[in-house]
Formats: sequence, structure tokens, C-alpha cells
Amino acid sequence: MDNEAKIQEILKRRGLDVSEVTDFADTEVKEPSPRFTKLINIYYAMKNSIDMEYPYWYNRTWWANEGDITEIRRAKSEAAALSHMTPTILPGELIFGNKTRNFRGAFCFPWVDASFFNAAAEAMMAGVDAPPVSAADAVSVVGAGGGNVTKDYGNIVSIAQKFGLRREEVPCLVKVAKYWDNGSVERVSARLAETRPDYQKWAGYRNSVLVMFDSWAIPQGREVINYYLPLEYGFDKIVELCDEKIAETLGEAGDDGVLGMSRGYYYMACKEIALGVSKWIENYAKRAEFLAAREADEQQKKEYLDIAEVAHHIAHKQPASFRQALNLTLMCHYGVVNEDPHSGQSIGRLGQILQPFYEKDIEEGVTNDEEVIELLELYRIKITAIECFASSGVTGGVLSGNTFNNLSIGGLGYNGLTAVTPLEYLIVEAGMRGKTTQPTLSLLYDEKTPEDFLLKVASCIKLGLGYPAIMNNQGGMNYMLRHYHPEGMTIYDARAWCPGGCLESSPGCFQPLHYNGKVTMIPGGAGPTAGTGIHFTGMPKLLELVLTNGYDKRTGIQVFQPHNKSLDTYEELLDVYYNDYLQELLEVSNRMNNLQMDTHRKICPIVWASLLKADCFKVGQNQSHLGARYNGTINFESCGTINFINSLASLKKNVYDEKKYTLEEMKDAMFNNFGFKTAFETGVFSPDRREATENAPKYEKIFADCVNAPKYGNADPYADDILYDYEERMLPKMLALRSYMGKQYYMCQISVSTHGPQGAITLATADGRLCGTTYADASMSPAPTTDKNGIYALFTSATCYDHAMCQNSQMNVKIHPSAIKGTQGTHKLLDVYRAYMRKGGFHIQFNVTSSKVLKEAQAKPDDYRDLMVRVAGFTQYWCEIGKPIQDEVIFRTEYDA
Amino acid sequence: MPQDNIGMIFDIQSYSVHDGPGCRTNVFFVGCPLQCRWCANPESWMVKKHLMFAERTCKWEQGCTACRDACPNGSIKFDEKGQPHVDWILCNKCETIECESSCAAHALKQCVRFMTVEDVMKILMRDYPNWGSNGGVTFSGGEPLMHHKFLDPLLQECRKQQMHTAIETSGFASPEVFEKIFRNLNFAFIDVKNMDNEMHKWGTGVSNEPILHNIETLAHADWWRGRLVLRQPTIHGFNDSLENAKRVIDFMNKNGLYEINLLRFHRMGGTKWEQLGKKYEYDDHGDMPEERMLELQELYLNNDIACYIGESTPF
Repeated sequence: MDNEAKIQEILKRRGLDVSEVTDFADTEVKEPSPRFTKLINIYYAMKNSIDMEYPYWYNRTWWANEGDITEIRRAKSEAAALSHMTPTILPGELIFGNKTRNFRGAFCFPWVDASFFNAAAEAMMAGVDAPPVSAADAVSVVGAGGGNVTKDYGNIVSIAQKFGLRREEVPCLVKVAKYWDNGSVERVSARLAETRPDYQKWAGYRNSVLVMFDSWAIPQGREVINYYLPLEYGFDKIVELCDEKIAETLGEAGDDGVLGMSRGYYYMACKEIALGVSKWIENYAKRAEFLAAREADEQQKKEYLDIAEVAHHIAHKQPASFRQALNLTLMCHYGVVNEDPHSGQSIGRLGQILQPFYEKDIEEGVTNDEEVIELLELYRIKITAIECFASSGVTGGVLSGNTFNNLSIGGLGYNGLTAVTPLEYLIVEAGMRGKTTQPTLSLLYDEKTPEDFLLKVASCIKLGLGYPAIMNNQGGMNYMLRHYHPEGMTIYDARAWCPGGCLESSPGCFQPLHYNGKVTMIPGGAGPTAGTGIHFTGMPKLLELVLTNGYDKRTGIQVFQPHNKSLDTYEELLDVYYNDYLQELLEVSNRMNNLQMDTHRKICPIVWASLLKADCFKVGQNQSHLGARYNGTINFESCGTINFINSLASLKKNVYDEKKYTLEEMKDAMFNNFGFKTAFETGVFSPDRREATENAPKYEKIFADCVNAPKYGNADPYADDILYDYEERMLPKMLALRSYMGKQYYMCQISVSTHGPQGAITLATADGRLCGTTYADASMSPAPTTDKNGIYALFTSATCYDHAMCQNSQMNVKIHPSAIKGTQGTHKLLDVYRAYMRKGGFHIQFNVTSSKVLKEAQAKPDDYRDLMVRVAGFTQYWCEIGKPIQDEVIFRTEYDA
Repeated sequence: MPQDNIGMIFDIQSYSVHDGPGCRTNVFFVGCPLQCRWCANPESWMVKKHLMFAERTCKWEQGCTACRDACPNGSIKFDEKGQPHVDWILCNKCETIECESSCAAHALKQCVRFMTVEDVMKILMRDYPNWGSNGGVTFSGGEPLMHHKFLDPLLQECRKQQMHTAIETSGFASPEVFEKIFRNLNFAFIDVKNMDNEMHKWGTGVSNEPILHNIETLAHADWWRGRLVLRQPTIHGFNDSLENAKRVIDFMNKNGLYEINLLRFHRMGGTKWEQLGKKYEYDDHGDMPEERMLELQELYLNNDIACYIGESTPF
């Protein structure tokens, strides 16, 4: 008998019943399947590769169909591109499919954005490194390890500091890109934008990197796929349905004189793309048969033939098993992420969607849980290998190389009861055994969620993988009802929400799946992208510009007209910030993004994703034409919230309330970086490094007062009231804006990785943050080392306003592994995340890795190829993250109890 | 020394997970009648406001000199390399700690806060919803029983709010004080540092008789409904002999006690001695060999006592 059992026995004999505590020590996580291990090791060795198969066939078909209605022309191009890609199947795979012919492949979308390639064309043809072309790219740092191809080598050209392209494909890239030089979304929208009198203002925001990125850079994603139609009907039946609909609507406008006629075109496009995807899947069947015919090993031969059977079936019919259904959703997913540059294409609540298929297989004894877990492990590799090609500022700066394919678990079902399914336990288990960055898991925490499921989630978090993140289900539902109320949001649809992308609460709905002799209401997405709109805006940078009278000292750009106010009172400071500068930024940026996205819908109407979104097929309109059930999905993305709040707290305290310093003295100190070297001079971007210059003594007192001013995260109402005021001021501004969808905006408060580059372009701030150092991450994480009163005080500060006002908020917490060891530790981790949820926090995620390990990994990245950390709303391989973000993660406050 | 209705508290830690059942908030009092040679919280000894200097956090190497004029008594002096040093004889006379606000690195820290019962309750009420169903508040130190006049009304407030209350104590107090406080507790850790009185005196400076007497009283008291877990900071060469363990076992079995938690000696408090300008005697010895820990656990288990090592506890 082991010691633990002896203790149990003694306590029981002594009358103290601890029977519910079965283990003190953590139960060991099982090893992943040998297949997983083999394939993940291939993944680790693979480089990010781009190739030209897709763009070549897209363009060729686009040319061949000149004169067609754009929507149909585009559908034909996509269908041709998908169905001409080489299907690659590796030995040992059970789940088939890839985004491209490469394991870790991507390609460019010159119809969206060609200037990047055209600017680089000459250099690429000549074989030299191309310079970055935008201001945002110039300040973004891409991680140098893992699969990133940051430099040319051998026959490989590095593109966007991340991808490798075979040199022989360069002429094809140059030729394809050249065609779109004038006609890409980027160029057409820029010409429209330049026509506006306020274009120079926009250019100023962008060139100062006050605002990062264009909407066209990633025009789709951060939404939830709806797998309903393929799972309910299969492709042959979908084509039949399209024919019926074409017969019914082509040539009919109904009551809609503007878009009524488009319905016929929509169904024609749907038919084209459905046939294309079907053919693409069929190609995998053929490939598998081809491989089987040449395979000597009987086992492997059988596996190829099994793949052929699955592929052949799902290319045409409703899936008939769990394995088929899973593989079908994967192929649908690849199709969507091949349509446009994508990030944050969410899988949604897969364990609820596929439960009927799983249930039937188990009932009939055709599979068992271990086999299902193996399939789910292999699925994880497939999703992890999804790459997205965009410029370095986007892939490195925003994405940190991740594409945020998020899978949600938990929440409530159509009937208002817990939605947790037996399959979801296996999804978590597969995530514990098969450790990969994607799909990241998000728990929709609800008080109705079973306790053992919550504990299972906690034990997964403890492995230090960064997932699952915890989302507030009731908060999300509240937000749905609040924000989508004008579009008729119901309580039933509200229950179908889940994050699209990292944590962009996205609307959904339930639809009836007929399978296994019964009807199951399965959830799926019902809104377009929540990833476009006004992109990452550095809130502390904007405050800096208020203090500099609109002039950017870093670039010499007059970003805003001088306000010429003396800012004698705190109220005047806020007035200029919110009502002058921010208001102008919102209005101007909104117009520019509207032009970009409207251009996108005219040149690149969304075809395939529009078949996978309720209610496009029902109403006969694609997503670009508001075919989805809910369309108020366009957002304003803020960055650096907490440094902004802390800076206001310091100015209020030191300048306005206590009048310790004049505003001029404060500005002088900030502009001189409080007498310290900048992050660029020291090479360290986290705030623990501050090297004095000879000026330091002059500013040391003001610096100490800035650092010691009230800070967010300490349950100090002085700072928290400023945050409350900020949120309350922002909401009406959002509701007053109108997106290209004609709907109101909302706040999206995630930093992704932009707190690195936007920190880099911001001078020292009044909270004592030095020039160039990374902003505090997320929107609810405290600035490093400023939370002095523990995690409960932090929770109190974070929930000083109603989180359901916004699409999201974000809290990253680092816990030392020793604090939550053992099964008691698992309970204590559940206690802490539940506490935050009960207070109304929207989101919390954990890094359970010690700073010591991270520092070692930074020094020796090769020894830590599989180390993963949670960055903002996603998990990423440590070695593929840029140094500024690595520094920031190391320096986050660590709760070690 | 402030009035009885003011508590002298050197830290309040939230999400404290190894100091009683569940997730807790831990209130640390200053002052201790014992002076253990291996103490991990030496900053709690001095019963007055005083300074702690975290040399490792100090930014002097990066050129910071912000504290050079911060002490009105001139107790902070810089050496020729530019590193600041505290003159502890001068510093320990000070109760105003003006220098703290000069430091942006939080290397100069005031150790003690004066708080009223209301002040502490405000924090506990803030933390209350975070504890979960089996968590609560733990009073620790230093020695919380030294502050019984403050702790008593505070505990009564906690009971009024139906909070789960725990204590970590040396058990060194008069029987009257001990009973008054323990009547309002749900859970207690009491240290049994050494069964041999002479050794106890050598290690802690006080006799173990009042402690053992209080434990015996508690074990037989009809008013005690709480759970008592004995604790032993286990230090190699001081109290890790099988002989000592056997005496603990006899004592426990005689009094019907059956839970003990052995805490491996650690040196985490070592830097705090430095920060207070004191020499740390346990700098290089006292570490527990793993086999001995297991041997001790085995012995307890074989004698019908549930023995937990470190953080592996069933609560």
C-alpha cells in the first residue's frame, strides 16, 4: 500500500472522511499515440513554406472567365484552385488533408494585396533580401526559431521574414502579383481613400503606427464556421439544393430591388464551390488509392485504402461515422482559410457538433474512446499546421505566427442546459496528450457546467500548455443580447455564441441535424468576420500625442492638428483625448476601413465561407451582402489599455490633484525617458531594465512619483475609477459609429501581440513605463510588477465595470507550477478561475511555467522546441515568438502563493 | 507599540494555497516570542515599523542613485562602486521610513502597516467571494497570539461573517489567551518544533512546556470543534531524529491527535535576513535528505498518524 492509501485509511479510522479526495498527487497524463509522436516530429522539422499552385490556378481561371458576374467568377477560380492542388498524404496519417501541398504550407493572395510582392519582385528576382514596406512591418519582430524562415538559404527565398519559397517559383509569383498591381483590394481601396479630404490624417495614423494594419490585410476570420450544411446534406445533395434554388430565384428579384437579383448568382456560386470542394476531397481519395497500389506494407496499404474510402464518401454524402465527420469538418475548414488571408477562423463547439456521430459509433461498437482520442490528437497537428501568409507586420506583429483556430467547449445547449458532451472530455484529453499550439481550447464557463469537466479543464491548464482559456458564458450571452438586440437576437441564439478567433465573442445559432434516427440541435456561426474595422490603436500613444499637441516626436509627423490647449485641468486633458483626437481617429479610420472592406466585397465576394454560415443559404445572399443572421460584427481594437489608465492616474495624481509637478515638468521627464536609456539602446523590452544616463538624477524624483502613483490592479478606486470612466465613455462612441455593414461598433480589447510593436513606437509614459518597452498585454493584465495586493485585488480592479458591455476583455495570469500541484492544487486552480468568472470577468488564461524556465528557453531555444506559452488569446511555440513579446511574458507577475 | 485596537501587520497575501483548506487570504502579524535560528520570516520579529532593503531588486548597477538623500538620518550610504548600503543601527531606530517613496524599484520597503479591525475586514470582505467553498482566512506571522487583543475582536467579526478561520501558531501563549482565540477558530496548525525542552530552548529561545500544555488542553476541550494539525519545520540535525519523532508520536497518541505536517527546511527566508542586515546562521546547513523525510513519514504512518510532507496534504 502506498503512503497516500495509508493516510486515507488512518483518517477514515479516525473518523475524518476524506474519501472524495482520491489522489494527492497529480494523475499522470498518458502518452500520445505513436502516430501523433511520429507526425508531430515531422511538423517540428518542417519550415513554413509557400507555393504557387493555388494562386496560379486562381488567376488562370479568373482570366478565363473574364466578363462573368464577379461572385460566380470568383467561385470558379476558388473551385479550380482547390481542385488543382496536389493532395499530399503522409504514411501513418489517418486524418487526411492539408491547406496546400505542403505540410506547413501557405500561399499569397495577390488579389487582396499585391504591392508587397510587387515592391519585392525586383529584389526577389535578383535574389536579394527585400526591405519591409510598411511602417508597421518595420517595427514588428518575428521570432527567429522553429519553422520560421527569416533569411534566404540555398534555393529558398525568405518572404515576410517567415516563409520560404522555392526560387524556381519566384517568376510565377511575380507574374501573378503583377496582374493585380492595379486591381487588388489594397490598390482599389487606396485610390478611393486618397480621394477623401481626410486621407492625410489616416496616413499620419498609419505612418506613426498609432493605428496598425488595414482591414484588407486579413479580411476574413475571427468568426465561427458553421459546418451544418455539409454535415446534414453532403455535397451531392447541396448541389441538388443549389439547382432547386437557382430554378427558383435566378431572374427573380422578390421585394428587393437592390440585392434581390443577387440570390440567383449566390446559388450559382455555391454550386461551383461545392463541386470544387467535392472534387478536391475526391482527389485525396484518388491519391490514397494511388499510394495503396504501390504500398508493400499490408498495414499501410489498408490505411491508405481506408483514407480513400473516407474521402470518397465525404466528397459526396453526409458522413456516416465520427471519423468521416471529423475529416469533413477539417476539409471545410481548409477551404475557408484558403479563401482569403485568414486568422482566427474558429472551429466552434466541435464536441457538441460531432457528438451525434461519436455517439452512434460508440453505440454500434465500431470504435472506442482511445481510437477517438487518437483521431483528435492527429486533428490537432492538422490545425496546428495551418499557416497564414500576410506581411511580416501581420504575421509577426499581430499573430506571433499563430492563426488562432479556436475550439470551444462547454456553454449551454439550445434547451438552456449544460451543453457539455462526452466527446468534449475526449477533446480535452487529446489536448493533454497531444500537446500542440492549435486548436487552442476555450471553455465557456457556466455555473451549469459539470464540476468534473471544470476540473478536467483545470488539470489541462496545469500542464502549462496555455489552454484552455476560460470565457464567461453568461457574460458572452449578455453581450449577445445587448449588442445584437437591434438585429433580433434571441435567448436561443445567444446560447450558441462562442469566441471566433482568440476571444472575439461571435454570434451563432442552433440548427437541427438529422442523424442516427434522431434530431440534434447543433451550434454554429451566424455572423461574418469580427476581425475588421478600426485596427489596433495604441491608447497610450494617443495620450502622448495629446501631450505633444498632435506631433509625433519619433517620426516628425504632425498626426493631429495642434489643439493648442494648455491642458490646465484633468477634464480638459480628457476632453481633448476623447472628444477631439480619439473621436477624429474613430471617424476617419472607420471611413477608410469601410472603403477597404466594401472594396473587398466587390472584388472578393465571400463564397465558400458563405455556404458555411447561417443564414446565407436560406436567404440567398453571401456574407458580403449581409447574408448572415447577425452583422454588427465590426470592431474597434484597442491596445495598451492599462498603461493608458495608469498614465492618466499618474497625471491626475501628480499634476492635477496634488500639483507636485507642472504638466511641462512631467512632459520634459517623459520626453527625456526619465533620464534612462531607451529599450532600443539596451535591447531589453521588458520594464526591469532601466539604465541610467547622466540625466537620471534630474528626473529620479519625478520618476519615483510616477512609478509609485496609483496603479490598476490593486483594488485602488483611484485608478479603477479611471478605468470605469474609460469603458463608460467608449461604449456610446462605439454605438454611434456605423460600419460598412451599416451596424454599430463594439470594443475589442485584445492586444494579440501588438503590445510589442506599439510599445516600441511609444515614448515614456506617465506611469513610469520607459520609451520603447512593451505595453502591458491584453486589457485586464496589470502592468508588470505594479499589482502589489495579490490576485484577488486584481480581480476586483478588473471587474470594476460591466464586461458584457464589450465583445471581450482579456486577462493573462502567470502561476508558478508549485502553487497548484496535486489534486488539491487542481481544485484551487478551479477556485481561482471560478472566482473571476463569478465576479463577471470575461476571460482569464494561465501560463503555468516559471520565469526561470522561460529565461533558460530564451537563452537556448533549440533545447525548448516544444515549449509553449500563452501570449494573448492563443498559445504559441516559444521559439517562434519575437523577442519583445518573450521579454514581456517573462516579466509578467508570477503568482506563486 | 500602538493601541490594542490597532493590528501590526506585515503582509496580507491572497490566493494563499498552502496554509489551510482551499484558497485563503493569509494575514501575517509582526512580532514573535520565539527567535528561531532558521526563521523564514525574520522581518516579522521587530514589533515596529521598519525597513527592508531588497538588494537584488536595487538598480544601482544600472546607475540609479535615487535614494542617496532619501534618509533624513543619513543611514543610506553609497560605497565607491555606487552601491547603497543601509546603516542598520541607525535605520532600526526610525519609524517614519521616508526613504521608501524615493525608490522606484521597490527595493526599499516599509515592513509593517498599522491596521484597524475594519481595515482588515475590508480586505477580507473583498477577498471573501474568491475563496471558494472551503477556503477562508488564515492568521499567521510572526505570532498571531501575541496580538490577541486585536485578533479577538477581528475573529469575532470573521465569525459574524461566517468565514472559515485558521491559524498558524507556535502555540506559545498563556492558557487564557490560547482558549479565548481558539474558541473562534475552525482550523489550526500548531508547531511542535522539538519534544526535548533543552533543544527547543536552544533553537527557539523558549521552553516548549506552555506549547505542549496548550495542545493537550485543546485536544481534550469540549468547546473545540475545529481541526488540529500539528506542524514541524523539519531541520536536519535539529529535530529530524527518529527519537524525536517517537516522542511526538507518543504525545499525539496520548492526546488523540492524528495529523501532522512535516515541512522541509527551506532557505527562502535567507535573503530577508540579508535585507534586514542580519547574519543568517542556516546559510549552509539544515537541508533535509529526502530519504529521511520518507523514513519519518513511514514511522508516523506505522503508528497510526497521518503524516503529510510539505504541500501534499488532503486539504
